[in-house]
Amino acid sequence: MTWQIAFQLAIAGLSVGSIYALVALALVIPFKASGVLNFAQGEMVTLGAYIGLALSTSLTLPFLAVAALTVVIAAAFGVLIERLFIRPIVAAPEFTLVIATFAIGLIIKAVIRLHWQDNTFPFDAPYTGPALAIGPLRVNPSYLVIIASLAALVAMLVAFFRTTRFGKAMRAVAIDPRAARLMGIRVETIFMSAWALAAAIGAIAGLLLAPLIGINPEIGQLIIKALVAAVIGGFTSLGGAVAGGLLLGVLETFCGAFLGSTLKNIVPFGILILLLLFKPQGLFGGSIQQRV
Amino acid sequence: MAAKALVLFGLAGALCAAPLALGSYQLYLAQLMMINTIAAIGLNLLTGNCGQISLCHSSFMAIGAYTGALLVLRAGLSFVPALAIGTLAAALLGACLGYPARRLSGLYLALVTLGFLQLVQILIEEFPELTGGVRGLSVPKPQILGYTIRSDFGLYYLLLGVAVLALLLARNLQRSRFGRAFNAVRQSTFAAQALGIPLGRTKLLAFTVAAGFAGLAGGLMAVTVGFMDPTEFGISTSLRQITFIVVGGLGSVIGSVLGAVLLTGLPEFLRGTQEYADLVYGVILLGSLLFMPRGLKGLFDDIWDLRARRTVTS
Repeated sequence: MTWQIAFQLAIAGLSVGSIYALVALALVIPFKASGVLNFAQGEMVTLGAYIGLALSTSLTLPFLAVAALTVVIAAAFGVLIERLFIRPIVAAPEFTLVIATFAIGLIIKAVIRLHWQDNTFPFDAPYTGPALAIGPLRVNPSYLVIIASLAALVAMLVAFFRTTRFGKAMRAVAIDPRAARLMGIRVETIFMSAWALAAAIGAIAGLLLAPLIGINPEIGQLIIKALVAAVIGGFTSLGGAVAGGLLLGVLETFCGAFLGSTLKNIVPFGILILLLLFKPQGLFGGSIQQRV
Repeated sequence: MAAKALVLFGLAGALCAAPLALGSYQLYLAQLMMINTIAAIGLNLLTGNCGQISLCHSSFMAIGAYTGALLVLRAGLSFVPALAIGTLAAALLGACLGYPARRLSGLYLALVTLGFLQLVQILIEEFPELTGGVRGLSVPKPQILGYTIRSDFGLYYLLLGVAVLALLLARNLQRSRFGRAFNAVRQSTFAAQALGIPLGRTKLLAFTVAAGFAGLAGGLMAVTVGFMDPTEFGISTSLRQITFIVVGGLGSVIGSVLGAVLLTGLPEFLRGTQEYADLVYGVILLGSLLFMPRGLKGLFDDIWDLRARRTVTS
């Protein structure tokens, strides 16, 4: 293996991993805030891509405006789901929450299929084009945009959680909702915002993925990879989720290149099962404490 | 008591006579109802009674279905031993998954079972020489004692017999020491342990039994449909089985039957609106979770209580 090939594979792996990382963030943020893992997040990524598609075909707006509008609509949709379906059952047993979010995903997917059928739609972004030649390397510009988007988003999230009052309030609720409520933080507002934020991040992932593979109702299946990424990262750590996503993307790409597609497909689920059975706190997480 | 016996006799008579009145599509639907009932009963023991989430019930169906079919096709076994071995294989793999998973619960269990589901589906797809891969596998009609069951009638009665046996088995298990241990584990793992119930062994038993029921249902599904491919054993099938037990009533054998029969029959009522099927299932599942958490069984119990109370007061 020459170093050029290794580098190009690494870039491809990091870009796939960035998508996983984004969706993993969208899973972990509301999970930390409200304790609900949203199994419908994959379908919310799909929905983000379709909203982008609908906006770009019906309106003649520049790409960035379409993207911004998509993110806002998706965030509003996240709020809607939280208010309508999650808040009434937030104290219900875990089984109810898991299955309810699955049901929400099922409904979103069914509606998408009713409206757009099973076709794959192409989706163009202004940055798609022939591979860039950087010295002896050839790099798909979409990959660079995806990686840069993740980096920018992570920087914004770090700034948001560290410096703003609202971000600090979200962290307080994640640590202890009851104590946060006693400090005068509106916990419900935080839950809702966490869902809005997650839906927005999911939509960004959808918009970034769409130019690469086209838009079809099955995009949402990537939630499984995001779950693996989140588990690698210990499930309650945002940094862990990002690291887990990137690690999984690179691992998968190198496995696919050198060990064949069978192993590439098996590796993520092997990792998931082994980690959960033997090291459920993930590679980066601390120990888990359970209250009796 | 007499009224109950009468109802049971009437029901038995109706079920035995039903094939005479049904068209071939309805008969096929009735067969699927029996198969789904068997699968739902197994899942309900694990999820409804023992309180363990499983998103890979359809994988155990796949294991039963493929093991049975491949033993008939490749090893030349006849139907009954192949079905039995398929059921045992599913139960064994259920135990293999249940053994390490007995320490997990809730969300982590959901994730492990989801990973297992994907893994089984990928393994079926990646070994096409053995399993037919994504192109699927045709399954011959079942043969019992050298006699091939060709008619839908024969298959119907076979399935009816197995479903009734499965129902009785689950009912007896539920009322046994083990069934009560399942319920105790669901209600409080700590209280159950304090009462001397071996937590790990109880969960392991629930996993094994549930997987066995699923394997049996899978083996029967294979010969009934006559064809299978890995997409049939994905997450949507697992969710459909969860819908059966949520709508019917968690933790109740009758609930499993109600849910499986009514929801399998649903496409019949939705005739002409087939494309809405997924939407309808999703809405029913979410609606039951939000507004009817105890399922139809719970609803009927409430109505029954209300009537009983009224007769007492009047």
